[in-house]
Amino acid sequence: QEIVLKSSDTHPDGYPTVEAVKYMGELLKERSNGRIAVEVYHSAQLGEEKDTIEQTRAGVIDLNRVSMGPFNGLVPETRVVSLPYIFRSTDHMHKVMDGDVGQEILAGFEPHGLVGLAYYDGGARSFYNSQKPITSVEDLKGMKFRVMQSDIFVDMVNALGANAVPLPYGEVYSSIETGVIDGAENNFPSYESAKHSEVAKHYSLDEHLIVPEVLVMAKSSWDKLSPEDQALVKQAAKDSVEKQRELWEAREKESRKMVEDAGSTITTPDKQPFIDAMGPVYEKHVTDEKLKSLVERIRAVQ
Amino acid sequence: MQQTLPSGPLGHVARVLGRVSSLALWAAGFGLVLMTAMVAWQVYCRYILNDSPSWTEPGAVMLMSWFIFLGAAVGVRENNHLGFDILLYVLPHGGKRVLRMISDVVILAFGLGMIFYGWQLAMLASDAILPSLGISGAYDYYPVVGGGILVSLFTLERIALRLSGAPVDEGLEIATPEAEVELDAVDDARDARA
Amino acid sequence: MELWILFGTFVTLMLIGTPIAFCLGVASFATVAYMGLPPLVVFQRLNSGMSVFSLLAIPFFIYAGDLMVRGGIASRIVAFAGSLVGHLRGGLGQVNIAASTLFGGISGSAVAEAAAVGGLMIPQMKARGYGVDYAVNVTSMAALIALLLPPSHNMIIYSISAGGKISIADLFTAGIIPGLMLAGALMITAYFVARSRGYPTEAFPGFQAVAHLAAVAVPGLLLIGIIFGGVRSGIFTATESSCIAVLYALLVTVFVYRQMTWEAFIDATMGAVRTTAMVLLIIGTAAAFSWLMAYMRVPASLVAAMNAVSENPYVILILMNLLLLGLGTFMDMGPLIIIATPIFLPVAQAYGVDPVHFGVIMILNLGIGLNTPPVGAVQFVACAVGKISVWRAMRSIWPFYGAGLIVLALVTYVPALSLWLPSVFR
Ligand code: NA
Ligand code: NA
Repeated sequence: QEIVLKSSDTHPDGYPTVEAVKYMGELLKERSNGRIAVEVYHSAQLGEEKDTIEQTRAGVIDLNRVSMGPFNGLVPETRVVSLPYIFRSTDHMHKVMDGDVGQEILAGFEPHGLVGLAYYDGGARSFYNSQKPITSVEDLKGMKFRVMQSDIFVDMVNALGANAVPLPYGEVYSSIETGVIDGAENNFPSYESAKHSEVAKHYSLDEHLIVPEVLVMAKSSWDKLSPEDQALVKQAAKDSVEKQRELWEAREKESRKMVEDAGSTITTPDKQPFIDAMGPVYEKHVTDEKLKSLVERIRAVQ
Repeated sequence: MQQTLPSGPLGHVARVLGRVSSLALWAAGFGLVLMTAMVAWQVYCRYILNDSPSWTEPGAVMLMSWFIFLGAAVGVRENNHLGFDILLYVLPHGGKRVLRMISDVVILAFGLGMIFYGWQLAMLASDAILPSLGISGAYDYYPVVGGGILVSLFTLERIALRLSGAPVDEGLEIATPEAEVELDAVDDARDARA
Repeated sequence: MELWILFGTFVTLMLIGTPIAFCLGVASFATVAYMGLPPLVVFQRLNSGMSVFSLLAIPFFIYAGDLMVRGGIASRIVAFAGSLVGHLRGGLGQVNIAASTLFGGISGSAVAEAAAVGGLMIPQMKARGYGVDYAVNVTSMAALIALLLPPSHNMIIYSISAGGKISIADLFTAGIIPGLMLAGALMITAYFVARSRGYPTEAFPGFQAVAHLAAVAVPGLLLIGIIFGGVRSGIFTATESSCIAVLYALLVTVFVYRQMTWEAFIDATMGAVRTTAMVLLIIGTAAAFSWLMAYMRVPASLVAAMNAVSENPYVILILMNLLLLGLGTFMDMGPLIIIATPIFLPVAQAYGVDPVHFGVIMILNLGIGLNTPPVGAVQFVACAVGKISVWRAMRSIWPFYGAGLIVLALVTYVPALSLWLPSVFR
């Protein structure tokens, strides 16, 4: 073996993204006759996403599977996919990211020492809480929700009439349990695996964020590869996407069933009033022309 | 630690660095008090006002980063970092001096690393914007650079003083920093009651 | 080879007396340079390892402890404990343990506790004819109660090292029964040692005096309720409770006891800065060290090695306990938690051990290591307060080690001791 690509992931072993990168490694090994291999460091062994992004940019590690959120401060194009309700459905997101807009965003990583390889599914994030089922925007009034450390998410929650509480992820479980906050928001697999479903029984499928995740490579590692090997890596990454989407769908169904069996109630509120409340958020965060045109092009994709 | 400073320029430099050190300690202490206020404000805003500020958490963490590196540099100058000093305890004076010198060179190397690579990290992160604080990612790493400068200065000072024959290695015991500080507290508490 | 450089540099530097923080940092620096990796990663881990919100609990709890010692909260608790249990055999030894238990409920640092309770109790015990070694050993072992009873910042370090996915509130609650068991075991041991040495009892001061001393100590002791109640009722998080402890300690010492002078406040602040800067610098460099171990896949190899030895969970738990005890003799608690948790926790979980339970095992185990030479901060403080050498303390500490190890064995093999109470509160 000549080349071992070290890859980081914050999710645990067996998670769809971890398995997809492992699968990509198998493809690479096979297609390069064993010359290229991928080694996945799961469970944030090498650090949290902000840190591993820096490590990738510095060439300490080669590959990195990251959420879009931590890139918002670095690659402005990624902000567009972190806007609430920008995608109508997972299918819509797939069409957008597989098309021109997706390619344009991937290109945005290049000036920052990164090569964008592929998008993975990260599911749809929805609110869950310990108090009551949410069926309308009014139900959210005055409730405290933990959000990720990001201005867009804080503004989104506030625009819905709730209170955003930025808290470290590790403190969410106890904070819901003790009542520091009423709830948080995430996709089914995280809601289930982080055990938040034990303390927050009401899940409302408002699907405010359908955010893809991204697999990036260090520009320095990329440049060391021959053009043929670069093509191999790119193709293997592309081929792992289909696999990841399958794994994700299965995992999402499984998690949903698990939380339902454990007594969580799932409500499906009418999304339109939620979307209508997002006006001020878009006004505040979609300011430059480039972002505006990206929003329009995403909405135009049918 | 330096009651008997050599005269001349070296003694002058040592006196200046002494003032730098106490300034750093005061800044760090002020940082701790400010951090207390910030977290208290966070609880007050969330629980009483129902409106959480998003800057308190990253702000307090950045403040902590500063006061740790400043305080750690002062700890280097005051020679009270936690160490495993068994060999120092049993060795004769000359051997002890050699080992302390090696330690100081090693600490100096790390201090210089903090400056150089801390700066590299700051430059690497400078094109990112920190969430909630809205400032450049470089600010995350300035404490590393600042701490590195002080660690290097204080170690160089001790190396120079030792070479000039000043008794910088006197009074070392198997002590731990926590131990030293807490023992200090015991004495103070006794004085207060007496 | 890389692994040899990492550990070789670390051990060599440690032996020549380089401060631990720099042993860890420079060993990582040298290894990364040898491997041809960009060295900036060491300094990134140094910074990220300490830039964690939950770690704020360390400066805050240490600060609160310093304020309590200097502002008279600790001395009033000792007086109250004296009136409660002084009439038992080896009375002042029992007082020492009871005071440690009460103070442990409001302080998280075993070192601060050894200084606070030892500073008040050891001179009294000396004066009343107790052997200094006895006084020192009771003090240093009883100080470990502070690690188990909430608040405990080491539990927070553990939760972070485990990836932040373990409830800190649960960990806090889980430590209560083991902490009280340790207190009980030490009281029994102190009783028998005192009887064999013929130590006296104190006169019972009468219920009126007990009530009076209790009333005086109540403002300080209320902090137990404020921290535990505040966290459990959702007013603040476990991390934030440490800040509330600082504010409350200030409030009591300034306005109720009126003992906090401006000068004492400055001293407490500077003392807390000095202590926490050093503790957290070690945590930062330990993060660089453990990053390298993860990068070299050391945890995975160790898991494989352990699996090869035995598949019996009881055997694995004994092995891990022995390994932790061994490491704890020559390393400090904070960095060991950071380095050992990512390695040992997955093994323990693979054998069905609950992570909260494992946390309690680890804290108690490494706590005993704080009380063993050559690197034992708590033992050092107690010896320094008693003005005896560590070796003299070691001659008669064995019954107390025995008590600690029995509690460790019970905590290890009876999960309910740790897990029952959190399940009640859930
Ligand atoms: Na405690
Ligand atoms: Na020890």
